[in-house]
Amino acid sequence: MALSVDDRVGEVGKAPVAAGLQVRLRRLQTGPTSRATALVVLVAVLGFLSVYPLSMLLYGSLHSTPPGMAGTFNLDGYQQVLTPESLLTLLNTIGISFAKTIPSVVLAVMLAWILARTDTPFRGTLEVLVTLPFFIPPILTAMAWGMLGNPQVGLLNQLYQWITGSTDSPINVYSYGGVVWHMMQYSVPFLFLLIVDAFRAMDPSLEEAARMCGASRWRTFRTVTLQLMLPALTSGAILSFIRGIENFESPLFFGTPAGIRVITTEIYDSINQRSPPQYQYATAASFVIMALLFLIVLLQWRLLRGRSFVTVSGKGYSPGVIKLGSWRWATFSFCVLFFVVTVVLPLGQLLIGSFFKFFGFYEWDMLTLDHYRNVFGSSEFWRGFRNTMLLGLIGATLTMVLGGAVAYISVRTKWRGRSLIDAMAWLPWMMPGIVLGVGFLWGFALLPHAIPIYGTIWALLLAYISLGTPLSVRVMSSAYAQLSYDLEECSRVHGASWLQTMWRIIIALAWPSFAVGWVLVFFGIMRELSASVLLYSVGSEVLSVVLLKLWANGNAEQVSVIGLMMMALVILFRWVQLRLLRPRVGAL
Amino acid sequence: MRMLLKAAIVACLMGCALPARAQDSWQPVIDAARKEGKLVIYDMALGAPYFIAVLKSFEAKYGIPVESLDLRASELAERIRTEQSAGRYLGDVEMITSTMIEEQRQNGDFIEKLPDIPNARNLRPPFRATEYSVPVFVQPMGILINTRLVKDADIPVSWNDLTDPKWKGKILSDDMRPLGSGNTMFAILEHQMGADFNPKLAEQKPVFSRDMRNDARRVARGEFAIYVPQIFAFTSDLKGLPVKVVVPKEGAPYAQMELAVLKNAPHPNAARLFIQHFLSPESQLIYANAWMPPVVAGVAERANPDAQPFAEAKLIGPAKLAERSSMMALAKKLYP
Repeated sequence: MALSVDDRVGEVGKAPVAAGLQVRLRRLQTGPTSRATALVVLVAVLGFLSVYPLSMLLYGSLHSTPPGMAGTFNLDGYQQVLTPESLLTLLNTIGISFAKTIPSVVLAVMLAWILARTDTPFRGTLEVLVTLPFFIPPILTAMAWGMLGNPQVGLLNQLYQWITGSTDSPINVYSYGGVVWHMMQYSVPFLFLLIVDAFRAMDPSLEEAARMCGASRWRTFRTVTLQLMLPALTSGAILSFIRGIENFESPLFFGTPAGIRVITTEIYDSINQRSPPQYQYATAASFVIMALLFLIVLLQWRLLRGRSFVTVSGKGYSPGVIKLGSWRWATFSFCVLFFVVTVVLPLGQLLIGSFFKFFGFYEWDMLTLDHYRNVFGSSEFWRGFRNTMLLGLIGATLTMVLGGAVAYISVRTKWRGRSLIDAMAWLPWMMPGIVLGVGFLWGFALLPHAIPIYGTIWALLLAYISLGTPLSVRVMSSAYAQLSYDLEECSRVHGASWLQTMWRIIIALAWPSFAVGWVLVFFGIMRELSASVLLYSVGSEVLSVVLLKLWANGNAEQVSVIGLMMMALVILFRWVQLRLLRPRVGAL
Repeated sequence: MRMLLKAAIVACLMGCALPARAQDSWQPVIDAARKEGKLVIYDMALGAPYFIAVLKSFEAKYGIPVESLDLRASELAERIRTEQSAGRYLGDVEMITSTMIEEQRQNGDFIEKLPDIPNARNLRPPFRATEYSVPVFVQPMGILINTRLVKDADIPVSWNDLTDPKWKGKILSDDMRPLGSGNTMFAILEHQMGADFNPKLAEQKPVFSRDMRNDARRVARGEFAIYVPQIFAFTSDLKGLPVKVVVPKEGAPYAQMELAVLKNAPHPNAARLFIQHFLSPESQLIYANAWMPPVVAGVAERANPDAQPFAEAKLIGPAKLAERSSMMALAKKLYP
């Protein structure tokens, strides 16, 4: 007889949940004022960071002109979105995003399982390597894949023709397949990062029980492992799906030449390629997308409601590693193959390209170190680098703290109003970046002059926190959902204060997720362009704006140099992170 | 870049083109500008080296520091609009296309009337200042060919040559449907070449892209034989690659960039001085050497030999704001 997952999960989760809840309720009853204060502060912060800029956009979608201009209220924008042509584009967008999310989830689950739960050799190194593609600026991989997979002179096609002697070109990145493939290179490592810690932190006794009851390894994986991963998996899949809908670079580079139209390129056109910019259409289209995405999130909440996913409890265990025998070399090869295809091929192109006068033209007399000299000798680059580091370090930390607080209240308390702050934190994620940037511009510029935010570096910081919070909340929610309440209760019973409990139990145990979220948010800030370009001012240039300028001036090679530096940073961060975390995770 | 800077400094040392009397009456403007202490320019140059060279030469000549806020065109217009709606007047002068200025004028009073600029009297036909703005440089577009794929005998000499069936499927183009260089070319050639031209070009099935900088390299790598529209200045830094810009006999469509003083500019004299400086022969020479025809007289002939054919290229255009939506609709019809 196989074990029912719900029964097993319930057994682990329910009793401690009830007891822990009582303790917390008692605690909270003693401090209603502090609870109310905490809620009010969070609602105010999130209100300012997400609801305020969005309300500006809502105004824009209902008004014939942007804020600050005379006009009339009407529904023209929404009427334009609801034409058959626009709806077809919307359906196309959803289809592409589905087409990339499903294989991405499958690949990410396989990679996470291999690297977190099996004895595959060099797991630590592989874990750093498979996440790298997420951190390469998309314009660079687009440029690299444009050279690898174009039908006329693409290297991969030439290789195929050389091997087979055929004149066919089987690979064409300028197609639906190319768009989906380019998106997948970002979504697989993104999903992997979101779910790998959930795999690692799982109590193996649940799987062991299933195996002892006679379930096959596959059935155990399917009915226990995967089911326990549901919060992390669905959260991740939904984030990835939303990101797919909002993806802009892949359809712009690979879809436009093939006549593939998606909603983000339409929105981009309506703002950047029409004159005057059609803000009413762009914002209305964004709200229609938002409504659709909200339905999906509601579906997830319904799907997970009432189920417990506690896997980290007070019982001691060490994360189980499945011995694969000789199969471990097959799993090793799988990870290496993924790394080669998504990183070595495009990054190799960038690395080689950065040493030649022109990217993609490899002749001896064109070898040069000028691009490195120009980048490292540019004061603008260093100013952008300093500002980005500062904003990244402060922004990622504040975003994770805010996300951690929101997630704690939404997952581990029964406070009234917790769904509200959770929803408020979600909002910015559901709005395409190009439009959200305009919302921040309108919002910050129209603040009273006594509030000195506009035109300063703080405007960028606030926008980054707003943009990163949905991700930080998701990451921390998944982490908290796995922590059993008996740990908190135990700490309190033994005399620890609430703060000590938070620090020693909640923060200590959720720390790996905090660190992963921090890295994701940090590099999100490093890459953010839509809001940055509208909010930066002289002196507060950030790296993404510097990159845009270099790209606009045809310095693809210098953009490659900076892309490679970002890679080096990622490897450093991930190495430090895993180095610091491994002992802690092992000690759980 | 370094060469451009040197050129700028040498040009500065050559002195201003103003006669002595004019300089006397201009001196109060220079003094007032220096007193204002700085200049804030909103532009869409996105850090172009020739633009920075002009800024540096202004700073070197007058000792007035310049702050440049670089944005893409539509973001620039929206930022100015939002700032002014919120009562924030931070910029002094803007550099943007002539059609965008026309549009700004239609939508509100974002810019001041143009003050007297002595060097504007030196504009060469067809360029002329309006009540609110003055042209400072132009961005003409030609045909880029891969010299290995296009034999000398086949090099297009007319825009009509692009419609030769032998180029079918071999042309890469900036997307002609949205606003941008592709549509600018489409609109200007619709007038210049007649109503048959664009439908015939559409039959060649040009492949659309939206990444002008990378597209020239795709042609250089041999993905396509031809790219349109190739902005001259974007080719000046591709020396050594197997590509060449052709200026067809009918002329090169162009976009016109203008300078205007923003409303309530905090440094109005510095703004005025900067416009004067941009129209000086030395600044214009910097642009001419980057393959952009100068807008003032007496400069084209002084450009470097490699820049000469472009500095003196025949120009057609610019596109008209009034026709913009109809041209975008027509392009959408021809390229569904």
